[in-house]
Amino acid sequence: MKNIILSVLICSNLLFAFDINDLKKLKEDGDCPMCDLSYADLKGLDLSMSNLNDANLTHVNFTNTIAHKANFSNSDLSHALFVNSNIKGATFVNAILRDVNFTEARIWKGNFSHAIIDNCNFSESALGSAIFDDNNLTNSTFGGAILYKTIFKENVIGIPK
Amino acid sequence: MKSLLLIIACTLALFAGELQFEHNFNKALQKAKTQNKEVMMMYSATWCPECNYMKEVVFKNKEVVSYIKKHFIVLTLDIQKDTLPEGFNYIGIPTFFFIDKNAKEKNKIIGGSKADIFLQNLKALK
Repeated sequence: MKNIILSVLICSNLLFAFDINDLKKLKEDGDCPMCDLSYADLKGLDLSMSNLNDANLTHVNFTNTIAHKANFSNSDLSHALFVNSNIKGATFVNAILRDVNFTEARIWKGNFSHAIIDNCNFSESALGSAIFDDNNLTNSTFGGAILYKTIFKENVIGIPK
Repeated sequence: MKSLLLIIACTLALFAGELQFEHNFNKALQKAKTQNKEVMMMYSATWCPECNYMKEVVFKNKEVVSYIKKHFIVLTLDIQKDTLPEGFNYIGIPTFFFIDKNAKEKNKIIGGSKADIFLQNLKALK
């Protein structure tokens, strides 16, 4: 009996890694700082101007999401998907970006200052006027990305050509 | 006289590969009717990097310029100076409206893109 209960608990935890109340709060208020939304499916939502500061956003699916000027600062976005999302002016200051997929995302004027960027995919994304400051980009890919007037500060390692 | 002709020739050559932008809706429409083309109206702003990329990079691409010149009269309106003509709505800039001879919106492209993709999208409208 104990084993069954334990299995159910483990399975439910795997299915809903995020906090249901946090997801509800995000959908109702549009903001959810310091929330746990890990593994949430936020595909196609409008999160423009949302405050997601200091949140657990690991494995979140933001595919096709519109999040103009959203605040992802200090959040952990490891393994998140931003494929084809529209995140113009979004802020990722001090965020953890490990294995994040930004393929075909529109990130004009995005701010990546002091973010940990590790093995991210920026292929075919639009990074015009985005700011990179104090980042290591050596193992991230930028194939086909728009880098028009993108700002790479002197302390950035591995600036794409 | 020779110098003058040379200057004129050079000026013409300089502008031959560039798009000419109209700034007045009615004038653009009239021009389009005369030349049997559509109006491509770009709603943009000087502070918008995506808009500037389109103007400074995409609209200087030879293939894009050639295709646009063949099919469209380009009208640019600035979000800070110009209001959109009645019946046109936008949700973000840049927005490209494609307008028929009756001043009606036929199609719309929202957002900028790289030259090859923009050209592909333009061709898909035809």
